[in-house]
Amino acid sequence: MQATPTENNLPLRGANFSTLAEALDYAARGKTGYNFYTSKGKLSAVLPYAQLREEAQVLALRLHSLGLERGTRIAVVADTHPDFQRFFFACQYAGLVPVPVPAMVSLGSRNNYVAHLRKLLVSSQAAVAVAQEEFVEFLAKAAAGLDLRFFGAPKAFADLPQSTIQPLPIGPTETAYVQYTSGSTCFPRGVVISQKAVLNNLKGIIGTGLRIRPGDRCVSWLPYYHDMGFVGFVLAPMASQCSVDYLDTQAFAMRPRRWLTLMTQSRATISFGPPFSYELCARRVRKGNADRFDLSAWRVAGVGAEMIRPDFLKRFAETFAPFGFDKKAFLACYGMAECSLAVSFAPLSQGVCVETIVNTDYFAACHKALAVEDTSEKECPSRTSVFVNCGKPLPGYEVAVRDRQGRDLPDRRCGAIFVRGPSMMSGYLGDIDATREVLSKDGWLNTGDIGYRIQGDIVITGRKKDLIIINGRNIWAQDLEYLAEQQPDVRPRDTIAFSVPGAREEEIAVMVVQCRESDPAKRKSLTKQLQGLIRQELGIDCFVELVPPHTLPRTSSGKPTRSKARHDFIQRIGQSHQGAQKRPTTKRPAEYSAPDRYCKDNQSADLLLSVHPRGISDPVFTDR
Amino acid sequence: MLQYKDILAQIYSVSQEIARDKQEINETTDLVVDLGLDSMAVMELLAAIEDRFDISIPLNILPDVRTVKDLALQIQQLMVES
Repeated sequence: MQATPTENNLPLRGANFSTLAEALDYAARGKTGYNFYTSKGKLSAVLPYAQLREEAQVLALRLHSLGLERGTRIAVVADTHPDFQRFFFACQYAGLVPVPVPAMVSLGSRNNYVAHLRKLLVSSQAAVAVAQEEFVEFLAKAAAGLDLRFFGAPKAFADLPQSTIQPLPIGPTETAYVQYTSGSTCFPRGVVISQKAVLNNLKGIIGTGLRIRPGDRCVSWLPYYHDMGFVGFVLAPMASQCSVDYLDTQAFAMRPRRWLTLMTQSRATISFGPPFSYELCARRVRKGNADRFDLSAWRVAGVGAEMIRPDFLKRFAETFAPFGFDKKAFLACYGMAECSLAVSFAPLSQGVCVETIVNTDYFAACHKALAVEDTSEKECPSRTSVFVNCGKPLPGYEVAVRDRQGRDLPDRRCGAIFVRGPSMMSGYLGDIDATREVLSKDGWLNTGDIGYRIQGDIVITGRKKDLIIINGRNIWAQDLEYLAEQQPDVRPRDTIAFSVPGAREEEIAVMVVQCRESDPAKRKSLTKQLQGLIRQELGIDCFVELVPPHTLPRTSSGKPTRSKARHDFIQRIGQSHQGAQKRPTTKRPAEYSAPDRYCKDNQSADLLLSVHPRGISDPVFTDR
Repeated sequence: MLQYKDILAQIYSVSQEIARDKQEINETTDLVVDLGLDSMAVMELLAAIEDRFDISIPLNILPDVRTVKDLALQIQQLMVES
């Protein structure tokens, strides 16, 4: 077996197509394609675009034999495996709409995973579903009692007869796919993307954002069920006729440096990851293992999907500079599944451009960002905040920053970010209310993110208020609250969850719970129980604070307000921080003695103690 | 061939290295709830176990593993198969 080559025999054509099927028709004339590696770094499968086209067309005939109505949705459990591409493109050729769904398992998660899959099957109204052999058992349980026309492993589909009638591929104005936002498990939202929208975005990504050129090669470990992994590293390489090398997401999570080994091996030029993934590579050094890398070919090290923390990137750059990594390769970008993927990219080959903002109190009060002139490497005084410039919007995109009354704000004034452009979703699948909530009739999307503009560039200062991003995973506040409220001791509307910035600029999940119990032992056990539950179900640590009834702030209509609760929480922490001699800088400051009131429930106090004072004057909550 | 109790001993030692909440570990210890392993720590644990036992852990076994005993039994099974 040999990986597909980097050099192609075909003139590079950057997403200048009207459908994804047409893009694959063209890519299939070349030699490039998809390559799959095992966790041990061995090449396990090769799928040149030419072969993919052939196999997808045959599979399209088999799917067509099921007599499905045009536009019928097909759920594809999106494992990093060539069958994902086969099914995705078979749908394109057969006029069916693919819906990638997560292939994510964690310890003890059987019931949750099955329930989640089932929710997605119901929400997407999929008539057909496919999963790799390893996942079929979960899929079968999830599909039990649902009226699916056909489901199973790829093998089961291979036994279907080939239709003698040639189906019509999905047309330019039709839906290309449905992407579930990698978020809420309780309330999933399927983003409907048209062919036109995704091709417009691919054009922007390939031509403007990355300026893909002959000789480029991609590496990705990002999951296929996430917009960055899917649009960015399944569709974009194909639409620009580049080869890609894949490492399974779980393999990356187990051994992060395999990512760099693969970069070294394939001499790839383009790879992306959320900030935490760079940090993980720098941090998780294996004992007695002298790794050797050559990262000198890496020209675009994209960073996105969560708030960008410059210190994470700095650490990576320092650790891997001796192996040829150039920090100028870092490329900050901003986007979301609702816009297909990308909205803006920073300029290439300039590294991360940091905005240091003085006097965060002033920032919080007036929402006006004053630049610090001297942004030298010396340690910033405490009254500054550091944000990353995410560059200019892609061609055709407009960005507006608005205040609460919906008025446009000038440069350096912080507010809600609205975007409008050529790769916008058609809406959330089957959810007109949710669509209307975020997308106006004239095409403006309320991103829910907070930030400001500076000479046309976008700077994000806070992401969606309901979203907690930990280790690159999106956790929705609603899901945390829902979990807690399933407990007999917790009443509905008695919890509010949110995140606060930690000392290392990481996000920390916090849940405030109104509790009537006064017995310390019982309080302690409730706290421990909630934390265990959250770890079990969502795989994250969460700080749980018990407060007396009627503590949680509510709106006039009685709805708990998350932003005010967060504000109040940070105020309480701020007070208990005062008098503390020094701020902890490490994640587990054993020597640090915690203020009494937060230790009494005996949870891992270090989580909370690392709350960064920046949060106290963080503009995110004051402006919402 | 490693005995079940040897596998247990190895799991104890690997978990102790990675766990956030230092405590007694026994067969009924829940890896996530009791040891406080978040999703990244779980991955680190699995990598360490793969190295120690020279096995490859298929990810579809994870949904059925909650306790140290569950994990030990799966490892034993994997070692028989390999």
